[in-house]
Amino acid sequence: MSLPSRMAVLNYMNSHEAVDVKAVMTALKPLYGNEKQFNEELYMEHFMALEANGLVELDSYELDKDDNLIMNYRINADGRDAVAKYVDKKYSN
Amino acid sequence: MDINKESINGRINLADSKKNALTKKFHTTGLINGAISGLTYGIYSTLVMVASGYDPLVSAAGFLAAPFVCSGLNDFIAGLWLLIYNAKKGRLKELGRTLKTKPGKMLVIGFLLGGPIANGAYLVGLAMAGAYAIPISATCSLFGALFAWMFLKQKPTKRVVLGMVLCVFGAIIINFVKPEGAPNFTLGIICALIAAVSWGLEGVFSSFGGAMIDTDVAVNLRELISGLVVLVLMVPAVGALKLLGGTISAGIPLVWLAVAGLSAAISFVTWYKANATVGCAIGMSLNVTYAFWGVLFCVLFLGQTLTPTIVIGSIVIVLGAIIVTMNPLDLFKKGGVEQ
Repeated sequence: MSLPSRMAVLNYMNSHEAVDVKAVMTALKPLYGNEKQFNEELYMEHFMALEANGLVELDSYELDKDDNLIMNYRINADGRDAVAKYVDKKYSN
Repeated sequence: MDINKESINGRINLADSKKNALTKKFHTTGLINGAISGLTYGIYSTLVMVASGYDPLVSAAGFLAAPFVCSGLNDFIAGLWLLIYNAKKGRLKELGRTLKTKPGKMLVIGFLLGGPIANGAYLVGLAMAGAYAIPISATCSLFGALFAWMFLKQKPTKRVVLGMVLCVFGAIIINFVKPEGAPNFTLGIICALIAAVSWGLEGVFSSFGGAMIDTDVAVNLRELISGLVVLVLMVPAVGALKLLGGTISAGIPLVWLAVAGLSAAISFVTWYKANATVGCAIGMSLNVTYAFWGVLFCVLFLGQTLTPTIVIGSIVIVLGAIIVTMNPLDLFKKGGVEQ
């Protein structure tokens, strides 16, 4: 069974550098892509909630070529600690 | 070269202003959500008392039967409202996924404390001590901080200790003068305290990785599990099955409980949304204003008499709860920077 999506987002960030919401969604698309909850608004909410809970931090922000705001987040020590403690090793990527 | 530099600067400014606008939007949405969560929890607390005023609940024998029937139906209906909400968002599968994880299982233990035990005790408290039980239950942030200190070794700061003292002081003020015609007043206050202690403990269980769980899903599980445990285990245990059947077939109290359940569902969703956008400290502080709203609605609609002790006590507890969770000055500081 797949991880709950917010956990999957954090788990993905644990093995990657700073990422934006689109990059995470591209990576998780094969597992969650056919679900209605798989949309940018809800994934942005995952980022915000993980940031508010002190597990990830805003790394940088920039504009893409169409002037859309891209926000890159990075997992911090507490986030890594939480993944190590609570996410089953079989989900490591 | 200069033109290039200018255009780069322009894009940086645009990125800055877009990012600031987004942050401001999150902040405002968070504050509104927090305020709604307090208001709707006040509405929930009042509506449960309205439902309890109808037959067969009002004439039920024993002091546990009616509150447990109410809390079971209320939580279960709230769980159903949340199922509809989560189905609309397309995340029903998340419920099963969450239960399979370690943090999900720890949350469930917390739900059993926060649901059947705390909510049951809260409603017994409301039935016995009326509106006086509402601000007493708001001392849960005191117990949350206390348990975090005991079990999670999170040492409270001087500010937190000051807030805790204020909470206790407010509770003493409320209990100072017993209202007339409430023979079980002190027992009601004790039940509200049991609720506050259990809610404080529930918070401890959410600290085992609960931060990785989608709160809209967690809240849905909480209400469903709590409602089912109360209806299937506790209602028969206190001999209230007949009362449960009677309440459902009476219709009107069930309608009030359905609206109360909707208020509770909205309250939890908006509360967690506030926590995730403006942080737990501000989120909890706004949520705790339910004590004001609850007392106000009881005075306005249920004929609760307003005494100086309940007014002063409520204000002191809400103030104490806010000081436990945040430095009130930060709210103004943040507001100032954003504007």
